[in-house]
Amino acid sequence: MDKLTIAGKTFDSRLLVGTGKFTSPQVMADALAATDAEIVTVALRRVDIDDANDDTLSHIDRDRFLLLPNTSGARSAEEAVRLSRLARAATGIDWVKLEVTPDPYYLLPDPIETLKAAETLVKEGFIVLPYINADPILARRLADLGTATVMPLGSPIGSNQGLKTRAALEIIVEQSNVPVVVDAGLGLPSHVAEAMEIGADAVLVNTAIATAADPVEMARAFKLATEAGRMAYESGPRAATRSAEASSPLTGFLGD
Amino acid sequence: MKSLNVNGVERRFSDEEMPATLAELLKQLDTEASVAVAEIDGRIVRPEDFARTELADGQMIELVRFVGGG
Repeated sequence: MDKLTIAGKTFDSRLLVGTGKFTSPQVMADALAATDAEIVTVALRRVDIDDANDDTLSHIDRDRFLLLPNTSGARSAEEAVRLSRLARAATGIDWVKLEVTPDPYYLLPDPIETLKAAETLVKEGFIVLPYINADPILARRLADLGTATVMPLGSPIGSNQGLKTRAALEIIVEQSNVPVVVDAGLGLPSHVAEAMEIGADAVLVNTAIATAADPVEMARAFKLATEAGRMAYESGPRAATRSAEASSPLTGFLGD
Repeated sequence: MKSLNVNGVERRFSDEEMPATLAELLKQLDTEASVAVAEIDGRIVRPEDFARTELADGQMIELVRFVGGG
């Protein structure tokens, strides 16, 4: 399989994994290991003074995983930029998954605020991976600004609905000159395989792994699906046809 | 009396109890292990600067940590 390159950095794995919703830090660590992922996302929140638990970071092997802080919770460009700067100050990492989601019901990304934040962050030297709706024009505008990837959604975050945006994703894949990471809504390994088969460069999965009855086994399933989908894509799948195409010879039948 | 607003909550300190630095405040609140980065009146403070960052009456302080997220 080809390697994935984002902002000049090369990765063997095309599966990015989120760290939310795991039942314990140990389950998270085991599941992350099972995915073979090299990039994992984390979020920034206020410390709960009355219940100051160890932070998530201490359970993530930072020699093995590149941390990708997200700006979840941001409802405007200004809030996303603030979170990005905090994340960089905390980790020394320039990479940020930019997400601006003002609507808590569907958590759909705000394209205008995302574009504004991306412009500021790129100027400040961030490696920006923006979470967007599957909008080919927005994807191109962001890439033109200098974002490292685009991360169009398959369906709303955590919804497990799969690739509801497939037709638009195919256009983004066709036109994009930066890696396309399909993010959000990928509920089953088959959804991930489908995204990779249509030529996505990578996928990001969190909820479907973290909330499975057996997150570690599900992590393996997603790893295999990502690899299978990519291999199929690189192998040149044939187009669907309306009628049958016999796979056995149509000559030399007995009794002819 | 002096006060600091920490993560949206007003905290009052007698003159003797008032922490001199951000590191001292974290120690008092028993949150040293979890704070990844801080903000004082909108200015970012990196962990390596906590010990030499002096506090003053009335400041707004945000203590931030990493949590799991997608």
